[in-house]
Amino acid sequence: MGKTITEKVLSRVTGSDVSAGDIIYPEPELLTVHDWYVVNFDKALQELGVDRLYDPDKLVISTDHEPVAVSPQAAERQKQVREIVKKYGIKNFYDTGRGGHGHVFPIEMGYVKPGMFVEAYDVHVTNFGAVGALAIPMLIEITEVLACGSAWLRTPDTVRVNLTGALSPGTGIRDVAQKLICDLGAARVDYAVVEYGGPALASIDIAGRHTLCNTPIDVGAKSALVEPDQSTLDYLADRVEGPLELIASDADANFREVVDYDLDVLEPQIAVPPTPDCVVGVSEVAGRAVHHAFIGSCAAANLSDLRAAADILRGHKIHPDVRFLITPGTQEIMSAAESEGLLQLFAEAGAMITQPGCGPCAGGRIGGMANGETSINTGTRNDYGRLGAPDSEIYLGSAATVAASAVTGKITDPRDFLN
Amino acid sequence: MEWVYKGKCWKFGDNLGIDGDVMPLRFALERELDPEVLRPFLMAGVDPDFPNKVSPGDIIVAGKRFGQGNPHIQGFLGILGHGLGLVAESIPRGSFRNAINAGLPFLTGCDGVTGDVETGDDLEVNFQTGEFKNLTRDIMRDFQPLDPQLQAIIEAGGWSANLEKRLAKLRSGESAMT
Repeated sequence: MGKTITEKVLSRVTGSDVSAGDIIYPEPELLTVHDWYVVNFDKALQELGVDRLYDPDKLVISTDHEPVAVSPQAAERQKQVREIVKKYGIKNFYDTGRGGHGHVFPIEMGYVKPGMFVEAYDVHVTNFGAVGALAIPMLIEITEVLACGSAWLRTPDTVRVNLTGALSPGTGIRDVAQKLICDLGAARVDYAVVEYGGPALASIDIAGRHTLCNTPIDVGAKSALVEPDQSTLDYLADRVEGPLELIASDADANFREVVDYDLDVLEPQIAVPPTPDCVVGVSEVAGRAVHHAFIGSCAAANLSDLRAAADILRGHKIHPDVRFLITPGTQEIMSAAESEGLLQLFAEAGAMITQPGCGPCAGGRIGGMANGETSINTGTRNDYGRLGAPDSEIYLGSAATVAASAVTGKITDPRDFLN
Repeated sequence: MEWVYKGKCWKFGDNLGIDGDVMPLRFALERELDPEVLRPFLMAGVDPDFPNKVSPGDIIVAGKRFGQGNPHIQGFLGILGHGLGLVAESIPRGSFRNAINAGLPFLTGCDGVTGDVETGDDLEVNFQTGEFKNLTRDIMRDFQPLDPQLQAIIEAGGWSANLEKRLAKLRSGESAMT
């Protein structure tokens, strides 16, 4: 019996023959924790009497959930994080204004390689699968990994998704990623790694692969990754030091399921409240008034998302009843957007551009919503209260759909702007 | 620790929610982790008198998706507080991890077990080997026991006790692997 990418990665890091279902203690080669959890893990370690990390050099800390301190408490927390970083000798600390979104900049900066094993506090670290790494969220058990180097893991099954066909005009990978988790459903991907491959994968850039790897965790997958290919190597060539190796599942690997999925989802897709897998075609909800619009989050933080928005916004103004926030994922993306003139275009249209990071998606601390309001945005989740007020409605869509809706003041099919 | 439980069966159906059915949600919100505080509220949502009826060594036999919902550990700590064992047809993954981390002896994946028992039956369950006996009805089943590495965590007393054990090994220069 052959092995899946997941089984191969975990066999390599444990030095043993690992199959789905096995209980293992794999040591991650990279760990990430974000600004909001640093104080918590420090407190937990102190209670355990731990005064040093198992391997501080493997840890990357990002400042993305609240990069701009907007309260005395937030400023205090940032100060504590800086002190904790010094205490444990953590070198890879990205303070506010450095790096950006912790699920995005480590890929840009070459921390993540195909076939690497990563663990993190936060769930959307699965983005690292965009370059073929296996990244598993541990939530509070990351404390055990920080102290002891590992924690127990049940080796997940793999659901293989072979992408076929081509995008229909006016739709993007976000539309596919949303529709895919709706079509697959929670039961089929429960505790599985969603592994993407197939003939259409070559047509999807690294940014699109971020989005594909971002959404499955929200219906209960364990992780998601892309079978790395030549475009992975091309993207990483100038970013990663040392040799890179491709990794693929064996043809006779024991997949839970193999699914063919066509990129042609016919029309832009919208996730309606209250969960990201309640997905309908835009025509079903078009016309609904919106007050709040946002482009950003780890699901749509890349330059291509900003370009898609700019293509819609060029020559238009944001609707007077709408406030529109744009959060570039990283410092690098923000800088590139500036070079291309996108930031000027956004500013002139009436959008706000925020510090790179999670933007409003991190619980609505930045640019949140009031009760009775409706938002359309590219965030990861649409639970009630995700952006602050519990009595507010959140619709999720592509950057193009969000930009078109921000201009008209109602949920709008972006193809209306492109024809 | 004692892996063989001998006691009465308490049978429940499918889809018991960890919040509400097994334990009031407020204890999760308060992050209460003391089994002694939690035990008077075990099964409050389905049988408020349950804590007064059970004895240590009794065994909860539940249907599919026991402990479904947001994975909060408090319900499992309540079971532990009474010294009960748990045999379920299935347990969703977040609750599975919590049951291990609580240090609770349990079996899961026990297809059809609710058809083999009624409340009040005398049971004998070996949580180490998976051997399940209904002494009242003379039924014997061999279920899949937990992986030995997970049994080791339960034996240590759950997540924090096991973590302290691993840390002690690290401090003495040993490998912390399990």
